[in-house]
Amino acid sequence: MRNIFLGLALAFAMALGHSAPAIPQTKQPSAPPAAPSSFDPHDLSGVWMQDRPRLGKVVERYWIYELTLEEPPMTAWGEAQYKGHKSSFGTHAYPIAETNDPIYHSCSPTGFPRAFFHAFPLQIVQTPGEVIMLFEWDSLRHQIFTDGRAHDTSLGPLWMGDSIGHWEGDTLVADTVNFNDKTWLDRIGHPHSEQLHVIEHIRRVDHEHLEDEITIDDPKAYTRPWTGRIVFALKPKWTLAEEFCEDIGSFQNIENQETTPAK
Amino acid sequence: MRRRPLGIVLAFAIVLSFSAAASAQTKQASAAPSTPSSFDPRDLSGVWMFDRPRPLTVVERFWMYELTQEEPPMTAWGEAQYKAAKSSFGTHSYPLAETNDSIYHSCTPPGYPRILLHPFPMQVIQGPNEVIMLFEYDSIRHQIFTDGRQHDTSLGPLWMGDAIGHWEGDTLVADTVNFNDKTWLDRVGHPHSDQLHVIERIRRINHDHLIDDITIDDPKAYTKPWTAHLDFLLRLKWTLAEQFCEDQGDFEGIEGDETKPAK
Repeated sequence: MRNIFLGLALAFAMALGHSAPAIPQTKQPSAPPAAPSSFDPHDLSGVWMQDRPRLGKVVERYWIYELTLEEPPMTAWGEAQYKGHKSSFGTHAYPIAETNDPIYHSCSPTGFPRAFFHAFPLQIVQTPGEVIMLFEWDSLRHQIFTDGRAHDTSLGPLWMGDSIGHWEGDTLVADTVNFNDKTWLDRIGHPHSEQLHVIEHIRRVDHEHLEDEITIDDPKAYTRPWTGRIVFALKPKWTLAEEFCEDIGSFQNIENQETTPAK
Repeated sequence: MRRRPLGIVLAFAIVLSFSAAASAQTKQASAAPSTPSSFDPRDLSGVWMFDRPRPLTVVERFWMYELTQEEPPMTAWGEAQYKAAKSSFGTHSYPLAETNDSIYHSCTPPGYPRILLHPFPMQVIQGPNEVIMLFEYDSIRHQIFTDGRQHDTSLGPLWMGDAIGHWEGDTLVADTVNFNDKTWLDRVGHPHSDQLHVIERIRRINHDHLIDDITIDDPKAYTKPWTAHLDFLLRLKWTLAEQFCEDQGDFEGIEGDETKPAK
């Protein structure tokens, strides 16, 4: 999306379930989309926007801040980390001036899967050996190698992890390890350790919708693996824009807009 | 490339024109490459590495630090900016402790075209309506829209600019405007203003080589438009890795490596 205000406005319109009166991002539409009835389930390419109903009271947490409404089962270590994380979102939100969210102060990479929870679209591009998610936010990439390679244990620790994937029927199963422990799992500060293992089941359920079922397995931070699900809607007329963290000087502004209750 | 030390080593090997004895980056090669004799000149996709002979004395400037060996024709304003830019590279280089290169201190986006001069590969992905350059360094994305749209004058100022392109025969002509003035044009600190206009003529001259003839037009910083020529070499077995600026705490190490004279 081309600027943050338009971006947020659109994100909100969608999250509110309005039909988002097609404020086209591009002056000319891209290639004509395939007829909605016909699509290749192994073709995930396109621009996708998270599609999740916004709650009446956003301070109730969730919306696009975290993976699931249920509190994940944290270990004692996980709880301690979570308490130490002063997010500016969620039920125990801190004012911006007091947050220790690493993104706010140094624009460090959000990491994965947190990149999903920033209110901007992502584009999937596919080559014979890889499926790449390009996030509008901060130019991040989630590159899933589907060429049959194994994890490279000499890698890491990485911000976005080391991802490999394979198709099981029409589902792309992506497996990501080799994470550093410098990022939060989501925007409200749920923790993860270097033992984080993310398993995704990504499926294009119909022409317009993509589903990513994400399992978080991190025995240091959580007592057992747990799962969240994100649904994305296809945005055939959108293209990604530049949205570097460095330009979002006024996080306060975003905060205000994002925490305005849905009407 | 998968790790910085390996990355640097490989970059050097290539620049030194060693045959880089196929220290294969990937355990399995990606999709079978087409035979070198057959290629579609309008298919720029693949992983490409900057290919320029390294001078014996690297402190003579140029190598991967700037676009051309000739001093570009700066205006008085341009000269003043250039003098104020304390690069750690080039003939009038400053020690790291004194550089005011914002990349070193705050990991801001390098901007365009400077990103082309960091010693890491880039991957070109092509869709029907766009040519996307993905840079290994700092996860930077440069998206050239080829769908016939015009520049969007409501955009900007942007770090990577607003890029549109069209094909003239087998040459992709890319036109980029709407830049901010927060970046250097190259790694030695040549300046640009927000009037920067970059025109590129990108052509795959054979299966293994891509050339980019770049014209820099910035009437505030330069007395006339000037051009540079960049070569890239196809790296069939390479894939991009994660290479965030944040991990390069040890710029001193890179500096040491890069400023060692070629043997």
